[in-house]
Amino acid sequence: MADTTGSEMKSGSFMSEKSAKIFVAGHRGLVGSAIVRKLHDQGFTNLVLRTHSELDLTSQSDVESFFATEKPVYVILAAAKVGGIHANNTYPADFIGVNLQIQTNVIHSAYKHGVKKLLFLGSSCIYPKFAPQPIPESALLTGPLEPTNEWYAIAKIAGIKMCQAYRLQHQWDAISGMPTNLYGQNDNFHPENSHVLPALMRRFHEAKANNADEVVVWGSGSPLREFLHVDDLADACVFLMDQYSGFEHVNVGSGVEVTIKELAELVKEVVGFKGKLVWDCTKPDGTPRKLMDNSKLASLGWTPKISLKDGLSQTYEWYLENVVQQKQ
Amino acid sequence: MAETIGSEVSSMSDKSAKIFVAGHRGLVGSAIVRKLQEQGFTNLVLRTHAELDLTRQADVESFFAQEKPVYVILAAAKVGGIHANNTYPADFIGVNLQIQTNVIHSAYEHGVKKLLFLGSSCIYPKFAPQPIPESALLTASLEPTNEWYAIAKIAGIKTCQAYRIQHGWDAISGMPTNLYGPNDNFHPENSHVLPALMRRFHEAKVNGAEEVVVWGTGSPLREFLHVDDLADACVFLLDRYSGLEHVNIGSGQEVTIKELAELVKEVVGFEGKLGWDITKPDGTPRKLMDSSKLASLGWTPKVSLRDGLRQTYDWYLKNVCSQ
Repeated sequence: MADTTGSEMKSGSFMSEKSAKIFVAGHRGLVGSAIVRKLHDQGFTNLVLRTHSELDLTSQSDVESFFATEKPVYVILAAAKVGGIHANNTYPADFIGVNLQIQTNVIHSAYKHGVKKLLFLGSSCIYPKFAPQPIPESALLTGPLEPTNEWYAIAKIAGIKMCQAYRLQHQWDAISGMPTNLYGQNDNFHPENSHVLPALMRRFHEAKANNADEVVVWGSGSPLREFLHVDDLADACVFLMDQYSGFEHVNVGSGVEVTIKELAELVKEVVGFKGKLVWDCTKPDGTPRKLMDNSKLASLGWTPKISLKDGLSQTYEWYLENVVQQKQ
Repeated sequence: MAETIGSEVSSMSDKSAKIFVAGHRGLVGSAIVRKLQEQGFTNLVLRTHAELDLTRQADVESFFAQEKPVYVILAAAKVGGIHANNTYPADFIGVNLQIQTNVIHSAYEHGVKKLLFLGSSCIYPKFAPQPIPESALLTASLEPTNEWYAIAKIAGIKTCQAYRIQHGWDAISGMPTNLYGPNDNFHPENSHVLPALMRRFHEAKVNGAEEVVVWGTGSPLREFLHVDDLADACVFLLDRYSGLEHVNIGSGQEVTIKELAELVKEVVGFEGKLGWDITKPDGTPRKLMDSSKLASLGWTPKVSLRDGLRQTYDWYLKNVCSQ
């Protein structure tokens, strides 16, 4: 299928329209809130934001009325039902059903009401469980999915395909970005269902606050992972809105791998925990390596700016001000 | 994942239970309606597209709230051949996703006891092993020409599975092979191979043509199932199967395109020559579903290809060419 690359389309139109109305769906989540911050930083003044109670994106008629009334020029679809392994396993119908409904409603109404460009956001879990590492965009649908998040993954894949289909049939500008593991402000630090990075941060912080001797982490620490600060993700989103109008989805990663051991040691240092870091090698490691191939985005001219150490410091400061303070 | 296999107790023993057949005017839906009526099911709720637009969430919700069907057979979809898929990909994925999400969710919310979702063999990878088992799903890339429809149908299967797992709700999926029969599409430009052959031999007979030329060598192998057999399998599955995995519905009977063409020629009664243009492409060498799962549940097809073609040609003469 013909791929209209960024250079072939009129570039720079997004950044030159700072007063254009932009609807950021999911503006209160980790991704959406970072995108709002970035847009504000860049001088975009006309953002339309709706909480879930103000606008239920699973309601087709409400979404239609919203678009008919507001007529945004741009849409960034960062609203989704998200969660970890346990949540996906317990609520599979919600994970596939709610996400399909949100996507179908927003993409279709956006097209119908003259939105100029839409960016759809997904996740690296769209890729096959045994995809080649680093994972290129072309790995999509080439093998079985990871069963623990297949419900969410199928919904996100359908979203990518919908954007492509609307581009093909209607020549409508819809693009998709697939971020790697994200971290940063507004992340979920819940003791039971947070991801590895915020979980480590919380545990080291609590160990420091409680003067614990040691923190024990599961596994050998050898698996390799990639992390991207959510402010970098937001920067990439603005970049793609401005510069990319291609058919294929785009991986958004940092290209910077660390072992879980390196990550844990870095988090320990940033948090300032002075006790011991111990590895429970009787516990499972998980996937040996998970890294996205970001060469496509790099070739368009985008690079991340936030190092893992700086990003962790910034996130820990936010954690202290917003999570720890709130509890006190 | 834990698989709840077919129960011994017949779920469809109540012949007066209200059954909603979505898509009752299509090839599949109309055959299902015929079969249900034959079997004595008296309480069918049917709505044309003008009466109920299944892409309208609020309309579907009102319908279910009002009618409260006990069973739902979801045979409504936007369908079409290669050309249509290529020209209207947004409609093929968007309309089908909207129909499915609306109907499955409303059916669950309004106490439907069991739902059967129907798809197509095009959900499987382009290079799936032949015969194609259910387990081939999502193991490799799709056929690009119908990936939009395929993704929507795969999402439908997964939605049914997810509702079963989360809510303990009885939703099953059936994936038929190539179908033929009454109410098929005989359009000269966008019909599938079997009705296309029937039409061409018929027109050649009527026009006294000397020859009908068919593309390719005739060697590719294909499987066909009469739509009345499909309908029979659907009633069977509704009655006996409550498993997580989707079920292939095929005849298990392969024929070469050459054998098919010769049979259609004979049934139609065209006396001229059958020629092969071997400069034209053949298409996939073989496409056959593995229907052993359904066979192990106890179902077998009843309509032979020859009988099915005769019956279809009779229908064609009465309903298509006499107009």
